[in-house]
Amino acid sequence: MVDSNHKGEVVFENVTRAVQTKKTETIILDHCSFVIESGKLTVLIGPSGCGKTTIINLIAGYEKPDRGKVLIDGKPVAGPDRERLVVFQETALFPWLTCYDNVMFGPLATKVMTREEAHEQTVNLLEKVGLRDFLYKYPMQLSGGMMRRAELARALINRPTVMLMDEPFRGLDAMTRELMQEYYLRLVEESHGTHLFVTSEIEEAIFLADRLIIMTNKPSRVKHTLDIDLPRPRIASVLRSKRYIELKSLTLEILHEEAVKASRASGKADIAIESGLRT
Amino acid sequence: MSASTLNTTSNLWKQVRKTVANWTTVRRIMSVLLFLLAWTILVQFTGQFHQIPTPAAVFAALFQLKLGVIFTEIFRSFLRVLCGFLLGLLIGFPIGVAIGYSRIANYLLFPAVEMVRPIPPIAWIPLTVLFFINIESQIVFLTFYGAFFPIVYNTMGGISEVDIRLPRAAMSFGINRMGMLWKIILPAAMPQIFTGMKVAIGITWLMVVAAEMIASKGGLGYWVWYHHTVMEYPMVILGMGIIGLCGALCSVGIDVIGSHFMKWRNIF
Repeated sequence: MVDSNHKGEVVFENVTRAVQTKKTETIILDHCSFVIESGKLTVLIGPSGCGKTTIINLIAGYEKPDRGKVLIDGKPVAGPDRERLVVFQETALFPWLTCYDNVMFGPLATKVMTREEAHEQTVNLLEKVGLRDFLYKYPMQLSGGMMRRAELARALINRPTVMLMDEPFRGLDAMTRELMQEYYLRLVEESHGTHLFVTSEIEEAIFLADRLIIMTNKPSRVKHTLDIDLPRPRIASVLRSKRYIELKSLTLEILHEEAVKASRASGKADIAIESGLRT
Repeated sequence: MSASTLNTTSNLWKQVRKTVANWTTVRRIMSVLLFLLAWTILVQFTGQFHQIPTPAAVFAALFQLKLGVIFTEIFRSFLRVLCGFLLGLLIGFPIGVAIGYSRIANYLLFPAVEMVRPIPPIAWIPLTVLFFINIESQIVFLTFYGAFFPIVYNTMGGISEVDIRLPRAAMSFGINRMGMLWKIILPAAMPQIFTGMKVAIGITWLMVVAAEMIASKGGLGYWVWYHHTVMEYPMVILGMGIIGLCGALCSVGIDVIGSHFMKWRNIF
Protein backbone atom coordinates (compact mmCIF):
# COMPACT_ATOMS: atom_id res chain seq x y z
CA MET A 1 0.00 0.00 0.00
CA VAL A 2 1.26 3.46 -0.81
CA ASP A 3 1.85 5.68 2.19
CA SER A 4 -1.64 7.03 2.37
CA ASN A 5 -0.96 9.36 5.29
CA HIS A 6 0.50 12.00 3.06
CA LYS A 7 -1.73 11.59 0.06
CA GLY A 8 -5.17 12.67 -0.86
CA GLU A 9 -4.87 16.45 -0.77
CA VAL A 10 -7.75 17.96 -2.74
CA VAL A 11 -7.44 21.46 -4.16
CA PHE A 12 -10.23 23.47 -5.79
CA GLU A 13 -8.80 26.27 -7.93
CA ASN A 14 -11.35 28.86 -9.07
CA VAL A 15 -13.86 26.17 -9.91
CA THR A 16 -17.02 27.26 -11.69
CA ARG A 17 -19.78 24.83 -12.42
CA ALA A 18 -23.12 25.65 -14.01
CA VAL A 19 -26.04 23.50 -14.96
CA GLN A 20 -27.91 24.21 -18.17
CA THR A 21 -31.56 23.49 -18.38
CA LYS A 22 -33.53 24.22 -21.55
CA LYS A 23 -33.62 27.99 -21.16
CA THR A 24 -31.81 29.00 -18.02
CA GLU A 25 -28.33 28.47 -16.70
CA THR A 26 -27.88 28.04 -12.97
CA ILE A 27 -24.45 28.75 -11.59
CA ILE A 28 -23.83 26.32 -8.75
CA LEU A 29 -20.20 27.00 -7.94
CA ASP A 30 -18.71 30.40 -8.65
CA HIS A 31 -14.92 30.71 -8.65
CA CYS A 32 -14.77 28.42 -5.69
CA SER A 33 -11.34 27.79 -4.14
CA PHE A 34 -10.40 25.74 -1.11
CA VAL A 35 -8.06 23.01 0.07
CA ILE A 36 -8.98 19.73 1.70
CA GLU A 37 -5.93 18.73 3.69
CA SER A 38 -4.67 15.19 3.46
CA GLY A 39 -5.21 12.83 6.35
CA LYS A 40 -7.88 14.98 7.90
CA LEU A 41 -11.61 14.83 8.25
CA THR A 42 -12.99 17.94 6.60
CA VAL A 43 -16.66 18.69 6.95
CA LEU A 44 -18.43 20.81 4.38
CA ILE A 45 -21.49 22.56 5.69
CA GLY A 46 -23.89 24.95 4.03
CA PRO A 47 -27.53 25.62 3.36
CA SER A 48 -29.31 22.90 1.43
CA GLY A 49 -29.06 23.23 -2.32
CA CYS A 50 -25.76 25.11 -2.15
CA GLY A 51 -23.90 22.69 -4.38
CA LYS A 52 -22.38 20.35 -1.85
CA THR A 53 -23.25 17.29 -3.89
CA THR A 54 -21.75 18.98 -6.94
CA ILE A 55 -18.46 19.33 -5.05
CA ILE A 56 -18.57 15.61 -4.23
CA ASN A 57 -19.33 14.75 -7.87
CA LEU A 58 -16.45 16.92 -9.08
CA ILE A 59 -13.95 15.23 -6.76
CA ALA A 60 -15.30 11.76 -7.55
CA GLY A 61 -14.99 12.53 -11.26
CA TYR A 62 -18.68 12.13 -12.12
CA GLU A 63 -18.83 15.75 -13.26
CA LYS A 64 -16.27 18.08 -14.80
CA PRO A 65 -15.73 21.74 -13.85
CA ASP A 66 -16.71 24.31 -16.47
CA ARG A 67 -13.84 26.53 -15.44
CA GLY A 68 -10.97 26.13 -13.00
CA LYS A 69 -9.31 22.95 -11.75
CA VAL A 70 -9.90 20.19 -9.26
CA LEU A 71 -6.55 18.74 -8.26
CA ILE A 72 -5.78 15.58 -6.31
CA ASP A 73 -2.18 15.61 -5.09
CA GLY A 74 -1.40 18.14 -7.80
CA LYS A 75 -3.00 16.17 -10.66
CA PRO A 76 -6.33 17.13 -12.22
CA VAL A 77 -9.22 14.70 -11.78
CA ALA A 78 -9.62 12.65 -14.96
CA GLY A 79 -12.66 10.54 -14.09
CA PRO A 80 -14.01 8.13 -11.49
CA ASP A 81 -11.34 6.16 -9.69
CA ARG A 82 -11.16 3.75 -6.79
CA GLU A 83 -8.89 6.23 -5.03
CA ARG A 84 -11.92 8.47 -4.51
CA LEU A 85 -15.03 6.69 -3.31
CA VAL A 86 -18.43 8.10 -2.46
CA VAL A 87 -20.93 7.05 0.16
CA PHE A 88 -24.14 8.45 -1.26
CA GLN A 89 -27.20 10.10 0.23
CA GLU A 90 -29.55 7.22 0.86
CA THR A 91 -28.28 3.86 -0.16
CA ALA A 92 -26.55 2.96 -3.38
CA LEU A 93 -25.86 -0.66 -2.46
CA PHE A 94 -26.52 -3.06 -5.33
CA PRO A 95 -29.90 -4.52 -4.34
CA TRP A 96 -29.32 -7.81 -6.18
CA LEU A 97 -26.17 -8.61 -4.21
CA THR A 98 -25.95 -9.69 -0.59
CA CYS A 99 -24.22 -7.51 1.94
CA TYR A 100 -21.13 -9.72 1.57
CA ASP A 101 -21.11 -9.59 -2.23
CA ASN A 102 -21.60 -5.84 -2.18
CA VAL A 103 -18.42 -5.39 -0.14
CA MET A 104 -16.56 -7.96 -2.28
CA PHE A 105 -17.54 -6.07 -5.45
CA GLY A 106 -14.73 -3.50 -5.42
CA PRO A 107 -11.81 -5.87 -4.79
CA LEU A 108 -13.10 -8.37 -7.36
CA ALA A 109 -13.83 -5.76 -10.04
CA THR A 110 -10.18 -4.80 -10.27
CA LYS A 111 -8.62 -8.00 -8.92
CA VAL A 112 -6.25 -6.08 -6.63
CA MET A 113 -6.59 -8.83 -4.04
CA THR A 114 -7.11 -12.55 -4.29
CA ARG A 115 -10.58 -13.84 -3.46
CA GLU A 116 -9.27 -15.20 -0.14
CA GLU A 117 -7.80 -11.87 0.91
CA ALA A 118 -10.93 -10.06 -0.12
CA HIS A 119 -13.08 -12.56 1.76
CA GLU A 120 -11.06 -12.15 4.93
CA GLN A 121 -11.17 -8.36 4.81
CA THR A 122 -14.85 -8.29 3.94
CA VAL A 123 -15.79 -10.42 6.91
CA ASN A 124 -13.50 -8.34 9.11
CA LEU A 125 -14.92 -5.03 8.02
CA LEU A 126 -18.52 -6.16 8.26
CA GLU A 127 -17.79 -7.43 11.74
CA LYS A 128 -16.33 -4.05 12.64
CA VAL A 129 -19.49 -2.24 11.55
CA GLY A 130 -21.65 -4.74 13.42
CA LEU A 131 -23.00 -6.69 10.47
CA ARG A 132 -21.39 -10.06 11.17
CA ASP A 133 -24.79 -11.75 11.38
CA PHE A 134 -26.07 -10.10 8.21
CA LEU A 135 -23.40 -11.17 5.72
CA TYR A 136 -25.78 -12.99 3.41
CA LYS A 137 -28.77 -10.69 3.71
CA TYR A 138 -29.87 -8.55 0.79
CA PRO A 139 -29.92 -4.75 1.22
CA MET A 140 -33.74 -4.72 1.29
CA GLN A 141 -33.60 -6.90 4.39
CA LEU A 142 -31.48 -4.41 6.30
CA SER A 143 -32.55 -1.32 8.21
CA GLY A 144 -31.50 2.15 7.05
CA GLY A 145 -28.62 2.33 9.51
CA MET A 146 -27.37 -1.12 8.56
CA MET A 147 -27.41 -0.24 4.87
CA ARG A 148 -25.31 2.84 5.56
CA ARG A 149 -22.83 0.77 7.54
CA ALA A 150 -22.62 -1.84 4.79
CA GLU A 151 -21.97 0.96 2.35
CA LEU A 152 -19.20 2.33 4.50
CA ALA A 153 -17.59 -1.10 4.55
CA ARG A 154 -18.02 -1.42 0.78
CA ALA A 155 -16.05 1.79 0.26
CA LEU A 156 -13.44 1.30 2.97
CA ILE A 157 -12.31 -2.14 1.76
CA ASN A 158 -10.81 -0.40 -1.28
CA ARG A 159 -8.66 1.82 0.97
CA PRO A 160 -9.46 4.99 -0.96
CA THR A 161 -7.10 7.91 -0.43
CA VAL A 162 -10.10 10.22 -0.38
CA MET A 163 -13.43 9.18 1.13
CA LEU A 164 -16.36 11.30 0.07
CA MET A 165 -19.41 11.22 2.31
CA ASP A 166 -22.46 12.86 0.75
CA GLU A 167 -24.85 13.43 3.67
CA PRO A 168 -24.61 9.73 4.40
CA PHE A 169 -26.65 9.77 7.59
CA ARG A 170 -29.50 11.86 6.30
CA GLY A 171 -32.92 10.38 6.89
CA LEU A 172 -31.82 8.22 9.81
CA ASP A 173 -33.54 8.67 13.15
CA ALA A 174 -31.66 10.54 15.86
CA MET A 175 -30.52 7.46 17.81
CA THR A 176 -29.28 5.59 14.76
CA ARG A 177 -27.58 8.69 13.52
CA GLU A 178 -25.62 9.13 16.72
CA LEU A 179 -24.58 5.50 16.58
CA MET A 180 -23.52 5.84 12.96
CA GLN A 181 -21.41 8.88 13.78
CA GLU A 182 -19.58 6.89 16.42
CA TYR A 183 -19.01 3.92 14.08
CA TYR A 184 -17.77 6.30 11.45
CA LEU A 185 -15.40 8.18 13.78
CA ARG A 186 -13.89 4.93 15.00
CA LEU A 187 -13.21 3.87 11.40
CA VAL A 188 -11.79 7.26 10.44
CA GLU A 189 -9.54 7.53 13.44
CA GLU A 190 -8.12 4.10 12.53
CA SER A 191 -7.71 4.73 8.81
CA HIS A 192 -5.93 8.11 8.73
CA GLY A 193 -7.19 8.73 5.20
CA THR A 194 -8.50 11.98 3.82
CA HIS A 195 -12.21 12.34 4.42
CA LEU A 196 -14.66 14.87 3.09
CA PHE A 197 -17.99 14.76 4.87
CA VAL A 198 -20.90 16.82 3.59
CA THR A 199 -23.77 17.66 5.88
CA SER A 200 -26.30 20.32 6.69
CA GLU A 201 -26.42 19.49 10.42
CA ILE A 202 -24.30 21.71 12.63
CA GLU A 203 -24.01 19.31 15.57
CA GLU A 204 -22.89 16.49 13.31
CA ALA A 205 -20.42 18.76 11.52
CA ILE A 206 -18.65 19.94 14.65
CA PHE A 207 -18.71 16.56 16.33
CA LEU A 208 -16.95 14.90 13.40
CA ALA A 209 -14.66 17.53 11.92
CA ASP A 210 -10.99 18.35 12.09
CA ARG A 211 -11.72 21.24 9.82
CA LEU A 212 -15.00 22.86 8.98
CA ILE A 213 -15.66 24.56 5.64
CA ILE A 214 -18.75 26.76 5.64
CA MET A 215 -20.27 27.45 2.23
CA THR A 216 -22.30 30.41 1.07
CA ASN A 217 -25.64 30.08 -0.64
CA LYS A 218 -25.82 29.51 -4.40
CA PRO A 219 -23.68 30.41 -6.30
CA SER A 220 -21.42 28.81 -3.74
CA ARG A 221 -18.10 29.88 -2.43
CA VAL A 222 -16.26 29.24 0.77
CA LYS A 223 -17.55 31.57 3.43
CA HIS A 224 -15.31 30.58 6.27
CA THR A 225 -13.07 27.78 7.48
CA LEU A 226 -12.77 26.76 11.10
CA ASP A 227 -10.28 24.42 12.76
CA ILE A 228 -12.13 22.23 15.21
CA ASP A 229 -9.64 21.64 18.00
CA LEU A 230 -11.73 19.25 20.05
CA PRO A 231 -9.68 16.30 21.36
CA ARG A 232 -9.53 12.92 19.62
CA PRO A 233 -10.67 10.21 19.93
CA ARG A 234 -14.02 11.99 19.98
CA ILE A 235 -16.63 10.64 22.29
CA ALA A 236 -20.17 11.79 22.89
CA SER A 237 -19.18 13.67 26.07
CA VAL A 238 -17.43 16.23 23.83
CA LEU A 239 -20.93 17.49 23.05
CA ARG A 240 -21.17 18.95 26.56
CA SER A 241 -17.74 20.60 26.64
CA LYS A 242 -17.40 24.37 26.79
CA ARG A 243 -15.25 24.50 23.65
CA TYR A 244 -17.91 22.59 21.67
CA ILE A 245 -20.56 25.08 22.66
CA GLU A 246 -18.31 27.99 21.69
CA LEU A 247 -17.59 26.47 18.30
CA LYS A 248 -21.25 25.75 17.73
CA SER A 249 -22.40 29.28 18.47
CA LEU A 250 -19.64 30.65 16.25
CA THR A 251 -20.75 28.43 13.39
CA LEU A 252 -24.38 29.30 13.96
CA GLU A 253 -23.55 32.98 13.79
CA ILE A 254 -21.78 32.60 10.47
CA LEU A 255 -24.54 30.43 9.02
CA HIS A 256 -27.26 32.73 10.31
CA GLU A 257 -25.70 35.71 8.60
CA GLU A 258 -25.67 33.70 5.39
CA ALA A 259 -29.26 32.58 5.82
CA VAL A 260 -30.48 36.14 6.33
CA LYS A 261 -28.63 37.27 3.24
CA ALA A 262 -30.07 34.38 1.29
CA SER A 263 -33.65 35.02 2.31
CA ARG A 264 -33.31 38.72 1.55
CA ALA A 265 -31.91 38.00 -1.91
CA SER A 266 -34.47 35.36 -2.75
CA GLY A 267 -37.77 37.15 -2.40
CA LYS A 268 -38.34 36.21 -6.00
CA ALA A 269 -37.23 32.66 -5.41
CA ASP A 270 -39.86 32.17 -2.71
CA ILE A 271 -42.58 33.03 -5.16
CA ALA A 272 -41.03 30.72 -7.71
CA ILE A 273 -40.99 27.89 -5.20
CA GLU A 274 -44.60 28.48 -4.27
CA SER A 275 -45.80 28.46 -7.83
CA GLY A 276 -43.67 25.40 -8.44
CA LEU A 277 -45.49 23.63 -5.62
CA ARG A 278 -48.83 24.49 -7.04
CA THR A 279 -48.20 22.93 -10.45
CA MET B 1 -59.68 -36.94 26.31
CA SER B 2 -56.70 -35.27 27.96
CA ALA B 3 -56.30 -31.53 28.05
CA SER B 4 -53.26 -31.52 25.78
CA THR B 5 -54.92 -33.26 22.81
CA LEU B 6 -57.82 -30.92 23.15
CA ASN B 7 -55.36 -28.09 23.03
CA THR B 8 -53.65 -29.29 19.86
CA THR B 9 -56.94 -29.84 18.06
CA SER B 10 -58.06 -26.36 18.90
CA ASN B 11 -54.67 -25.03 17.78
CA LEU B 12 -55.00 -26.88 14.49
CA TRP B 13 -58.47 -25.47 14.02
CA LYS B 14 -57.11 -22.00 14.75
CA GLN B 15 -54.40 -22.52 12.15
CA VAL B 16 -56.99 -23.62 9.58
CA ARG B 17 -59.19 -20.69 10.45
CA LYS B 18 -56.28 -18.34 10.00
CA THR B 19 -55.02 -19.64 6.65
CA VAL B 20 -57.89 -21.28 4.75
CA ALA B 21 -61.33 -21.02 6.26
CA ASN B 22 -61.38 -17.29 6.83
CA TRP B 23 -63.57 -14.54 5.44
CA THR B 24 -61.04 -13.58 2.78
CA THR B 25 -61.30 -17.02 1.20
CA VAL B 26 -65.07 -17.00 1.44
CA ARG B 27 -65.25 -13.65 -0.30
CA ARG B 28 -62.92 -14.82 -3.04
CA ILE B 29 -65.04 -17.88 -3.73
CA MET B 30 -68.12 -15.68 -3.68
CA SER B 31 -66.58 -13.48 -6.36
CA VAL B 32 -66.42 -16.46 -8.74
CA LEU B 33 -69.90 -17.72 -7.79
CA LEU B 34 -71.40 -14.27 -8.29
CA PHE B 35 -69.86 -14.08 -11.74
CA LEU B 36 -71.36 -17.44 -12.72
CA LEU B 37 -74.68 -16.40 -11.23
CA ALA B 38 -74.73 -13.13 -13.16
CA TRP B 39 -73.92 -15.04 -16.33
CA THR B 40 -76.76 -17.52 -15.74
CA ILE B 41 -79.27 -14.80 -14.94
CA LEU B 42 -78.33 -12.76 -18.00
CA VAL B 43 -78.76 -15.80 -20.27
CA GLN B 44 -81.94 -17.16 -18.68
CA PHE B 45 -83.90 -14.01 -18.11
CA THR B 46 -83.05 -11.67 -20.96
CA GLY B 47 -84.10 -12.07 -24.56
CA GLN B 48 -80.90 -10.49 -25.75
CA PHE B 49 -78.54 -13.28 -24.72
CA HIS B 50 -80.75 -16.34 -24.80
CA GLN B 51 -78.64 -18.12 -27.44
CA ILE B 52 -75.56 -18.07 -25.26
CA PRO B 53 -74.94 -21.31 -23.36
CA THR B 54 -75.22 -21.23 -19.57
CA PRO B 55 -72.28 -22.13 -17.33
CA ALA B 56 -73.97 -25.49 -16.77
CA ALA B 57 -74.06 -26.18 -20.52
CA VAL B 58 -70.38 -25.28 -20.82
CA PHE B 59 -69.59 -27.58 -17.92
CA ALA B 60 -71.52 -30.39 -19.60
CA ALA B 61 -69.55 -29.83 -22.81
CA LEU B 62 -66.40 -30.58 -20.86
CA PHE B 63 -67.37 -34.28 -20.84
CA GLN B 64 -67.85 -34.41 -24.61
CA LEU B 65 -64.36 -33.11 -25.19
CA LYS B 66 -62.14 -35.47 -27.20
CA LEU B 67 -58.93 -35.32 -25.18
CA GLY B 68 -56.70 -36.46 -28.03
CA VAL B 69 -57.93 -33.69 -30.29
CA ILE B 70 -57.87 -30.90 -27.75
CA PHE B 71 -54.36 -31.72 -26.53
CA THR B 72 -53.07 -31.78 -30.11
CA GLU B 73 -54.52 -28.29 -30.63
CA ILE B 74 -53.12 -27.06 -27.31
CA PHE B 75 -49.73 -28.44 -28.25
CA ARG B 76 -49.81 -26.76 -31.67
CA SER B 77 -50.69 -23.36 -30.24
CA PHE B 78 -48.15 -23.69 -27.45
CA LEU B 79 -45.41 -24.52 -29.92
CA ARG B 80 -46.25 -21.45 -32.02
CA VAL B 81 -46.35 -19.21 -28.98
CA LEU B 82 -43.05 -20.56 -27.74
CA CYS B 83 -41.34 -20.16 -31.13
CA GLY B 84 -42.65 -16.63 -31.56
CA PHE B 85 -41.80 -15.63 -28.03
CA LEU B 86 -38.28 -17.04 -28.12
CA LEU B 87 -37.62 -15.37 -31.47
CA GLY B 88 -38.93 -12.12 -30.01
CA LEU B 89 -36.62 -12.49 -27.03
CA LEU B 90 -33.65 -13.52 -29.16
CA ILE B 91 -33.99 -10.52 -31.48
CA GLY B 92 -35.80 -8.00 -29.27
CA PHE B 93 -33.64 -8.28 -26.17
CA PRO B 94 -30.30 -7.40 -27.84
CA ILE B 95 -31.95 -4.54 -29.71
CA GLY B 96 -33.46 -3.25 -26.46
CA VAL B 97 -30.08 -3.47 -24.74
CA ALA B 98 -28.38 -1.67 -27.62
CA ILE B 99 -30.92 1.16 -27.68
CA GLY B 100 -30.81 1.52 -23.90
CA TYR B 101 -27.07 1.26 -23.47
CA SER B 102 -25.52 2.93 -26.51
CA ARG B 103 -26.35 6.41 -27.61
CA ILE B 104 -25.38 5.71 -31.22
CA ALA B 105 -27.59 2.63 -31.38
CA ASN B 106 -30.35 4.71 -29.86
CA TYR B 107 -30.16 7.32 -32.63
CA LEU B 108 -29.89 4.64 -35.32
CA LEU B 109 -32.66 2.32 -34.16
CA PHE B 110 -35.08 4.14 -31.92
CA PRO B 111 -36.80 6.39 -34.51
CA ALA B 112 -37.54 3.39 -36.74
CA VAL B 113 -38.85 1.39 -33.79
CA GLU B 114 -40.95 4.31 -32.70
CA MET B 115 -42.38 4.66 -36.20
CA VAL B 116 -43.52 1.05 -36.54
CA ARG B 117 -44.59 0.40 -32.95
CA PRO B 118 -47.98 2.18 -32.98
CA ILE B 119 -49.26 -0.12 -35.73
CA PRO B 120 -51.35 -2.81 -33.99
CA PRO B 121 -49.77 -6.23 -34.68
CA ILE B 122 -53.04 -7.59 -36.09
CA ALA B 123 -52.89 -4.99 -38.87
CA TRP B 124 -49.87 -6.89 -40.20
CA ILE B 125 -51.86 -10.00 -41.04
CA PRO B 126 -52.47 -9.22 -44.76
CA LEU B 127 -48.85 -8.32 -45.34
CA THR B 128 -47.41 -11.51 -43.84
CA VAL B 129 -48.71 -13.39 -46.84
CA LEU B 130 -46.10 -11.55 -48.88
CA PHE B 131 -43.30 -12.33 -46.39
CA PHE B 132 -43.80 -16.08 -46.19
CA ILE B 133 -45.47 -18.66 -48.40
CA ASN B 134 -45.50 -21.26 -45.65
CA ILE B 135 -48.55 -20.73 -43.42
CA GLU B 136 -46.75 -22.01 -40.33
CA SER B 137 -44.08 -19.35 -40.83
CA GLN B 138 -46.75 -16.70 -41.22
CA ILE B 139 -48.31 -17.62 -37.88
CA VAL B 140 -44.95 -17.75 -36.09
CA PHE B 141 -43.98 -14.43 -37.62
CA LEU B 142 -47.14 -12.80 -36.27
CA THR B 143 -46.59 -14.20 -32.78
CA PHE B 144 -42.97 -13.10 -32.92
CA TYR B 145 -44.07 -9.65 -33.95
CA GLY B 146 -46.45 -9.44 -30.99
CA ALA B 147 -43.66 -10.28 -28.57
CA PHE B 148 -41.01 -8.10 -30.17
CA PHE B 149 -42.01 -4.57 -29.17
CA PRO B 150 -42.91 -5.13 -25.53
CA ILE B 151 -39.55 -6.82 -25.06
CA VAL B 152 -37.60 -4.10 -26.87
CA TYR B 153 -39.45 -1.35 -25.08
CA ASN B 154 -39.22 -2.67 -21.57
CA THR B 155 -35.59 -3.73 -21.91
CA MET B 156 -34.71 -0.30 -23.20
CA GLY B 157 -36.78 1.45 -20.53
CA GLY B 158 -35.42 -0.70 -17.73
CA ILE B 159 -31.88 0.16 -18.75
CA SER B 160 -32.45 3.88 -19.13
CA GLU B 161 -34.16 4.09 -15.74
CA VAL B 162 -31.34 2.51 -13.74
CA ASP B 163 -30.53 4.69 -10.73
CA ILE B 164 -27.49 6.71 -11.81
CA ARG B 165 -25.76 6.13 -8.48
CA LEU B 166 -25.38 2.40 -9.13
CA PRO B 167 -23.28 2.67 -12.31
CA ARG B 168 -21.44 5.60 -10.77
CA ALA B 169 -20.50 3.55 -7.73
CA ALA B 170 -19.42 0.65 -9.97
CA MET B 171 -17.36 3.05 -12.10
CA SER B 172 -15.51 4.21 -9.01
CA PHE B 173 -14.77 0.60 -8.11
CA GLY B 174 -13.01 0.37 -11.48
CA ILE B 175 -15.36 -1.86 -13.44
CA ASN B 176 -14.91 -2.07 -17.22
CA ARG B 177 -17.60 -1.48 -19.84
CA MET B 178 -18.55 -5.13 -20.27
CA GLY B 179 -18.67 -5.69 -16.54
CA MET B 180 -20.83 -2.62 -16.22
CA LEU B 181 -23.38 -4.11 -18.60
CA TRP B 182 -23.43 -7.64 -17.18
CA LYS B 183 -22.95 -6.96 -13.50
CA ILE B 184 -24.74 -3.65 -13.01
CA ILE B 185 -27.03 -2.53 -15.81
CA LEU B 186 -28.71 -5.82 -16.63
CA PRO B 187 -29.32 -6.93 -13.02
CA ALA B 188 -30.68 -3.47 -12.22
CA ALA B 189 -32.97 -3.53 -15.27
CA MET B 190 -34.03 -7.15 -14.70
CA PRO B 191 -37.40 -6.44 -13.06
CA GLN B 192 -38.60 -4.37 -15.97
CA ILE B 193 -37.17 -6.79 -18.53
CA PHE B 194 -39.34 -9.50 -16.98
CA THR B 195 -42.34 -7.18 -16.96
CA GLY B 196 -41.77 -6.81 -20.70
CA MET B 197 -41.62 -10.56 -21.15
CA LYS B 198 -44.90 -10.96 -19.29
CA VAL B 199 -46.64 -8.40 -21.47
CA ALA B 200 -45.05 -10.03 -24.52
CA ILE B 201 -46.31 -13.52 -23.80
CA GLY B 202 -49.84 -12.14 -23.34
CA ILE B 203 -49.73 -10.49 -26.75
CA THR B 204 -48.22 -13.63 -28.24
CA TRP B 205 -51.36 -15.57 -27.27
CA LEU B 206 -53.52 -12.82 -28.71
CA MET B 207 -51.65 -13.04 -32.00
CA VAL B 208 -51.60 -16.81 -32.21
CA VAL B 209 -55.38 -17.05 -31.70
CA ALA B 210 -56.07 -14.35 -34.29
CA ALA B 211 -53.71 -15.93 -36.81
CA GLU B 212 -55.08 -19.43 -36.28
CA MET B 213 -58.67 -18.24 -36.73
CA ILE B 214 -57.75 -16.93 -40.15
CA ALA B 215 -55.23 -19.54 -41.25
CA SER B 216 -57.25 -22.77 -40.71
CA LYS B 217 -54.13 -24.70 -39.85
CA GLY B 218 -55.12 -26.12 -36.51
CA GLY B 219 -54.45 -24.74 -33.07
CA LEU B 220 -56.80 -23.49 -30.37
CA GLY B 221 -57.86 -20.43 -32.34
CA TYR B 222 -58.87 -22.62 -35.24
CA TRP B 223 -60.63 -25.04 -32.91
CA VAL B 224 -62.76 -22.24 -31.45
CA TRP B 225 -63.51 -20.86 -34.89
CA TYR B 226 -64.47 -24.30 -36.21
CA HIS B 227 -67.01 -24.80 -33.41
CA HIS B 228 -68.37 -21.38 -34.16
CA THR B 229 -69.00 -22.37 -37.77
CA VAL B 230 -70.88 -25.51 -36.69
CA MET B 231 -72.73 -23.51 -34.00
CA GLU B 232 -71.48 -25.53 -31.04
CA TYR B 233 -71.25 -22.60 -28.70
CA PRO B 234 -70.60 -24.48 -25.45
CA MET B 235 -67.43 -25.74 -27.11
CA VAL B 236 -66.54 -22.21 -28.23
CA ILE B 237 -66.72 -20.96 -24.66
CA LEU B 238 -64.79 -23.98 -23.43
CA GLY B 239 -62.12 -23.23 -26.00
CA MET B 240 -61.97 -19.62 -24.87
CA GLY B 241 -61.48 -20.85 -21.31
CA ILE B 242 -58.68 -23.16 -22.36
CA ILE B 243 -56.95 -20.33 -24.22
CA GLY B 244 -57.20 -18.16 -21.12
CA LEU B 245 -55.80 -20.94 -18.98
CA CYS B 246 -52.87 -21.43 -21.35
CA GLY B 247 -52.12 -17.70 -21.27
CA ALA B 248 -52.25 -17.65 -17.48
CA LEU B 249 -49.97 -20.69 -17.34
CA CYS B 250 -47.38 -18.93 -19.53
CA SER B 251 -47.59 -15.80 -17.39
CA VAL B 252 -47.01 -17.84 -14.24
CA GLY B 253 -44.13 -19.58 -15.99
CA ILE B 254 -42.43 -16.24 -16.64
CA ASP B 255 -42.96 -15.26 -13.00
CA VAL B 256 -41.35 -18.50 -11.81
CA ILE B 257 -38.32 -18.00 -14.06
CA GLY B 258 -38.16 -14.35 -12.98
CA SER B 259 -38.19 -15.11 -9.29
CA HIS B 260 -35.39 -17.59 -9.88
CA PHE B 261 -33.27 -14.85 -11.46
CA MET B 262 -34.26 -12.20 -8.92
CA LYS B 263 -34.03 -13.97 -5.59
CA TRP B 264 -33.32 -10.61 -3.97
CA ARG B 265 -36.81 -9.41 -4.78
CA ASN B 266 -38.80 -12.15 -3.08
CA ILE B 267 -37.04 -12.48 0.20
CA PHE B 268 -39.90 -11.60 2.46
